[in-house]
Parts: sequence; C-alpha cells; structure tokens
Amino acid sequence: MDFTSNFIVQLINGIALGSTYALIALGYTMVYGIIMLINFAHGEIYMVGAFVGLALVTIFKVHIIIAFLGAMLFCMLMAVSIEIIAYRPLRRSKRLAALISAIGISIILSNLVNLLVGPKPQTFPSIEKILFEIKSFDLIAGAQINTLQILLIIVSAILMIGLQYIVKRTKVGKAMRATSQDYDTAALMGINVNRIISYTFAIGSALAGAGGVLVGIYFGVVKYNMGMLPGMKAFTAAVLGGIGSIPGAMFGGIILGVIEMMTVAIGFSSYRDAIAFGILILVLLIKPTGLFGKQIFKKV
Amino acid sequence: MTLLNGLLPPYIESIAITVGIYIIMALGLNLITGVTGQLSLGHAAYMSIGAYASAVVSLQLGMPFIFALLAGGIAAGFFGLIIGYPTLRLTGDYLAIATLGFGEIVKSLLFNMPIVGGAMGLAGIPFKSTLTVTLIVVIIVIWMMVRVERSRFGRALLAIREDDIAAECYGINTSLYKVKMFVLGTFIAGIGGALWAHKIMVLQPRDFGFMKSIEILNMVVLGGLGSIPGTVLGAIVLTSIPEVLRFSSDYRMLLYGALLVIMMRFRPNGLLGGVDVTKLVKKSIKSITGSNFADKEKKKVKGGN
Amino acid sequence: MALLELNKLTIQFGGLIAVNKVDLKVEKGQISALIGPNGAGKSTAFNLATGIYSPTSGKVLYKGQDISGKPPYYINGLGIARTFQNIRLFKELTVLDNVKIGCHSRSKAGIFGAITRLSAIKNEEKQIEEKAFQALKLMGLDKKYDEFADNLSYGEQRCLEIARAMASEPELLLLDEPAAGMNLQEKIVLIEKINKIREMGLTIFLVEHDMKFVMGLSDRVAVLDYGVKIADGTPEEVQVNADVIAAYLGKEVV
Ligand SMILES: Nc1ncnc2c1ncn2[C@@H]1O[C@H](COP(=O)(O)OP(=O)(O)OP(=O)(O)O)[C@@H](O)[C@H]1O
Ligand SMILES: [Mg+2]
Repeated sequence: MDFTSNFIVQLINGIALGSTYALIALGYTMVYGIIMLINFAHGEIYMVGAFVGLALVTIFKVHIIIAFLGAMLFCMLMAVSIEIIAYRPLRRSKRLAALISAIGISIILSNLVNLLVGPKPQTFPSIEKILFEIKSFDLIAGAQINTLQILLIIVSAILMIGLQYIVKRTKVGKAMRATSQDYDTAALMGINVNRIISYTFAIGSALAGAGGVLVGIYFGVVKYNMGMLPGMKAFTAAVLGGIGSIPGAMFGGIILGVIEMMTVAIGFSSYRDAIAFGILILVLLIKPTGLFGKQIFKKV
Repeated sequence: MTLLNGLLPPYIESIAITVGIYIIMALGLNLITGVTGQLSLGHAAYMSIGAYASAVVSLQLGMPFIFALLAGGIAAGFFGLIIGYPTLRLTGDYLAIATLGFGEIVKSLLFNMPIVGGAMGLAGIPFKSTLTVTLIVVIIVIWMMVRVERSRFGRALLAIREDDIAAECYGINTSLYKVKMFVLGTFIAGIGGALWAHKIMVLQPRDFGFMKSIEILNMVVLGGLGSIPGTVLGAIVLTSIPEVLRFSSDYRMLLYGALLVIMMRFRPNGLLGGVDVTKLVKKSIKSITGSNFADKEKKKVKGGN
Repeated sequence: MALLELNKLTIQFGGLIAVNKVDLKVEKGQISALIGPNGAGKSTAFNLATGIYSPTSGKVLYKGQDISGKPPYYINGLGIARTFQNIRLFKELTVLDNVKIGCHSRSKAGIFGAITRLSAIKNEEKQIEEKAFQALKLMGLDKKYDEFADNLSYGEQRCLEIARAMASEPELLLLDEPAAGMNLQEKIVLIEKINKIREMGLTIFLVEHDMKFVMGLSDRVAVLDYGVKIADGTPEEVQVNADVIAAYLGKEVV
C-alpha cells in the first residue's frame, strides 16, 4: 500500500472512530452546557450501553436494531435516575460536591459491571451473523471502505442530525438552549428546569448508549473498563470543539478520531492515548474556548 | 533516632508505616481538593513520580536517603507545575480531567521506560522508610500544613475555594495561588511516593493507577474536606480497615465509589465536619489540668469544619 | 483629575449592549451614586471598573491610569475595593477570616513565610489581625468575629461585605446596593457608617435603588437606562430631569 492509500484508510478509520467519540462528547457538552458539571459517569454510561446491547442480543436474542434501541432507552433511564439521586440534591452546594459524586457514580458503574460479568473482555456477536455481510468497496488509490464503517458513520450521522433537530426545532430544545444560557432566568420564565435537565441527561445518554453498541459491533469486544479512555477522549473532543457547543462536540470528536488514527499510521501507536491528552492540554493552553466555543461571561 | 523501630511486631510496624505514608499522601491532596477546592484525580501519579525519581536517585546515584526524598518531592512538584499551569488558570473543572488523563499517561510511560524497569518494575530499592523516619516526615508535613492553613497564603486558598471571583476582587491572584498550591501538594505527594518506594522496595507501574488516586481521595472526603485532623483520621481508617477486613479489591472499589456519593449527599464535610478539633482538645486539656494555658493559642481550625 | 473616570465605556454580551458609551467621573472625596432601573447596567459598570469584565471598547481610568482589562486582584491592589449586590462572602469561613482575606493586598507573606513564620511574618499577621478588628469595629461586627459568615443576618452580611472591603484600605469604595434587604433602622445606621467612611477620606461610588437613601447621601448622581447614561448631576438636578422621570415612570420616584 502506498502512502496515499494508507492515508485514506486511516482517514476513514479515524472518521469512524471519531464518530463514536462525537456521540459520547455530545453528552458531556450538553450536560456541561446546562449545569456546568463534568459528568464523569458519562463514559461509564456508554460502557453500560454496550453491555445492555450485548445482553439483549446474546441472552434475550432480540434483533440487533431492537437491542440498539433498548440500550439507548436503558441508558436514558439510568442517567435520569443518576441525575435525580446523585446530582440534583447537590445542585445548590459547591461544584466540587457534584464533581466528586459524579466520579463516585462512575466508579460504582464500572465496578458493578466488573462484578457482574468479570474483568475479561466479552465478545460481541459478529455483525455478519446478525445483520449483513461485510463487503468492502474500493475507493481511490486502492484504499477501501467496508459496510461496517459505512454503517457506523451513517448511524452516527443520523443520530446527530436527530439531535440537531431536537435542539433547534422543538420546544424542549428551545427550553434546553434557554436553560443553558441563563439557568435562573429560564426558571423565572416558567421553564421547568428540572425537567429540562432530565431531558438533557436522557438525550445525551441515549447517544452514549448508541455509541456503546456501535463500538461493540465495530470492534467486536466490550469490557467493563472500556468507558474510561473513550470518555476522556470524548471530553477532550468536547473541549476541542468548545465545551457547551453541540457542533463543536461533533467536529471535535471526528478531528480527534482522525488525529488518533494518523498517529497510529505514522507508527506511534503506543502514544495514541497520550496524543489525545496532549491535545487537551494544548487546547487549554492556547484556546480554552475551543474551536466553536464562544467566550462565556460568567455572570457576577 | 531509631528508637521506635522494632518496638512493634513487624506486621503492625509495617502497617503503621503504610498508614503514615497515606497520611502524607492524603494531606497533600487535602491541600489541593479540601482547602482549595480543586479536584485532582491523579494524586497517585505524583506519588509514582516521586517513588520512581527517588528510587533512581538511590539506585543510580547512591545518594543518602534525604536526597532521594527531596528528589521525589521535586520531581513530582515539577510535573505538578506542568499540569497545573495550563489547567488551573481556567475556571471550571479542567484540573480533574487533566489529572485523570495525566495519571494514565504516567502509568503507560512507566510501562514503556526501560530505565525504570518497564512493566517488570524497579527492584532492589534499599529499605529506608523505617517507622521513625516515616513518623518524622508525617510530623513535619502535618506541622507544615497547619502553618500553611493558618497563614495569609492558606486563607487565600480557602477564599479561592469559597468564591474565586470574590477572592480575585480582594487582591488574590487566584491562578498563581492555585498553581503554587498545586506544586506544594504534588511535592508532598512525591515525598510520600519516595517513602513508599523505600518501604516496599519494588516498584511497579500498576500500583499507581486510578484506583490508588481514588483511594486517597476517599480518605480526604471521609475525614472531611479541608480538615487536617479529618484527613489524618480518614487515612488511618481507610488504610487499616482493609488490612483487617481483607475483602476483595473489586468490592473495595465499589465501596469507595458508593462512599463518595453517600458522603457528598449526607455529610459533605466529612466525619469530622463541624467538629472543631482544636477546641475539643483545649477543652479536654482544660478539664484535666483545670488551667487555661491552652487558650493562649486562640485561633480556630479553619476549613471544612 | 477625577479619581475614577469611565471613558466611552462599552460592553456587549452577545447581542446585548449592557453598558453603552458611558462617560462618568467620580471625584475624590465625594459620594457619587449610579442609579437606574433593573437591568440598566449598573452592576456591569462596577464589574468593568473592578476588572471582572474587560470592556468591548472604551476605558476605565483610575488616577489617570488606564486600568481597563487589568485583572481584579491588580485593581484591588491599586486601591479600589467593592462589595457585591448578590452577597459573595466566604461563607464557610469566620467573620474574622473574611475580613483578614480583605487585607490580602496590603500584606506580603507567601508560602515560605507561612511555613517559617519568622518574626517579620508574625508581626505582619498581628497587624492583619488588628486591621481586621478595626474594620469589624467600624461596621459594628467585632463581637461576632468568631461566627461563620453564613450564620450572620442578611443586614450583617451586607455590613461584613463593607468591612472586608475596608480591610483592603482602599481609596475608592464601590458599593453595589449596600442597603438592599435592610430595614429602616439598619439603613439609618448604614448611612451613618458610610458618612464616617467618607470622613476618613475615602471616595465612595454606590449603586442603590432606595431613592431616599441615594438622594440623602450623594453629592452627585448619574442615571443609567438600558446601558446609556441619561443624566448626571446633583441629586436635585437629577430628580427633576425629564428623561429620568420618564425612565422611572411607574416606578418609585422621590
Ligand atoms: N455575564 C453576562 N452575560 C450576559 N448578560 C449579562 C451579563 N451580566 C449582565 N448581563 C445583562 O446586562 C444587563 C445589565 O445587567 P446589570 O446586572 O448590570 O444590571 P443592573 O443595573 O445592575 O440591574 P439591577 O438593578 O437589577 O441590579 C442585564 O440585561 C443583564 O441580564
Ligand atoms: Mg445590579
């Protein structure tokens, strides 16, 4: 394979990987935008989504599409309950308290799954058995893209377009935007802020759950600690795009995925995780508001 | 100087040294998270930097232990500066995620570095952290922390925790103070790590993972964020209980997670929150001696209580 | 030269111009007031003067020096101290510590000072304590030094805000709605104290909605409406100004 084709292959891999980061990053950015909390449990919600999808397919033998939707629904309900139990009571206390509570939840989730299914990676049934055969198509310069990658990219794109629709076109979306701009005023204007926060958690976590199942299908394995690293990378993606910005999270995710695969392509695969972290530090140093973030004037 | 060593049964002595090291670790984190309100999730990474740096000083340079200790502290503090500077200048909670990421990076770098033995670890470190030495360091660190807390510098840190904008309006360069504080906190973590290296004598990267950072965070949260006696208590309790109960580490981790959530919900100021230990001690001294000489030091313990 | 001067000061939040080309002078030794309906931009003007926000355009001059965009801690060091409309005390700290933190700009000890506690540092700490008690006494809070700030009554918290500001030994004191939420008795006491502070040689610049309070206390009054200065003058002049009456129409006017 020559350089161009290798480049294109890694670009496609990067976009596919990046779409999953984007799906997770959206949840971080939405929650941060509305209650200024880094929801540390978000990576674990993605992990739980993957396991719920796995359980539905292997134990309950449902169709993969049902499993996909089931995982999204499960993550929604779980995240809404988490918010009510662990974050809501702390909303008026210091930020640190909610942050610590979130880290606690994240530890509980990953270790609960560890106790339930064990530390060994679990194999996800191959997509060939449950949906379609994987075919590859030739692109330019001998590079190929396969149906699995196309599926991953298209499903992610549909989900993100759906999210844009909800946020831009629906009443709930409008209330979400209002609440994230000015929490107190939104409440004064008669918006049920608690409900909007629940919606935000629900939507963000549904996307993470979807991401979990997609990654399960794509890589074929799921593991109890699979949430932490992608969670961190997705957070980096959110910061890169500008935390609080939805398009920012999408672009940030894809850019990060591509950079990561390019790092692998040029032979630094053992630094692929370090790269994401280096980017986080660089963004914070150079442009903390990210690519799409607006300068936020904290109200005093 | 070696008075205390060998006084206790070896097993108890070993636990006592471990408790001492964790008191040091937890006090460093208390400064960062408890006093200043900045969440760090990579405290174990700074411990590992201190541990490895000091081990290298001992093994490669054969210098006396005091230099190894200081080298551990300085190396950790240096990385504290590198991580703290970009993240602490910003408002928001970037430190938490950056320290989390940093912790993972350090672990993977240590795995890949031949000079420190990679995944095999670093063996043959001399045993230097005797009970006496550890105790001396513990006392110095507690003494330092108490002094810091009751100073202009410490008050500024508390002000940042309480309200960083108001703090800034009253003359406190909050970013600078946060960075200085973080360097001091990670320096102490490095000292703790150096002691650790010269106690267990073999270092492996996996000993300093995320789980260890969370364990130390739990000590601070349990005892009371911002409270020195609380932190000491938290470190003692959480270091000795697993030694006694010995349940599997999976359950232990689950418990740690639950503890964080429950404490924040029901007792955010920790077990000793709202208890003024200095007053309590004074009162008991008073009732025992009947005099009030203890009142001379009339300052209060500030912070989480 | 005016002690504080706002020069075509403007700040824009997204589509909203919260402060719009405002020119204003605060003369040394006087009590100046800034009034205007809710949302007029008064607090924002204070935030600009104390460095919390950087202006979109225009300048803030203090003693002729351009301080726009300088960080708050630096501005406090120059001699400007403020209180907050939505009280921002260090809630979980004692009253005394709150005021001691106010002394930050006028003291020096750092980390090493804290640890070594040399005699110079000890002296400084003693001075901080004395100054803090003076400020507390001034505001009538010295008996409560040991309480947590959070446990004070609302009026006391407002007084503590002023005490904390006074501890930084400012030349210019900015008070954002110092009398809000106070009862009549408390307001009378507060007026006395503000006058006393003026007699100590400080310049005061305040925002307040209570018109009796403002008109009784101030030498000069400026009026903001939708970010624009619509009037400026003595209390008597401002009260009869047609624009001001229109801006306040339907609201309480003296
Ligand atoms: N950080 C900010 N971001 C966006 N808009 C802001 C911000 N701070 C203030 N504003 C807006 O600027 C306008 C002026 O606000 P400001 O607080 O200065 O009013 P004010 O005159 O102090 O009113 P009040 O008498 O109610 O205190 C308001 O519309 C407010 O919503
Ligand atoms: Mg105001």
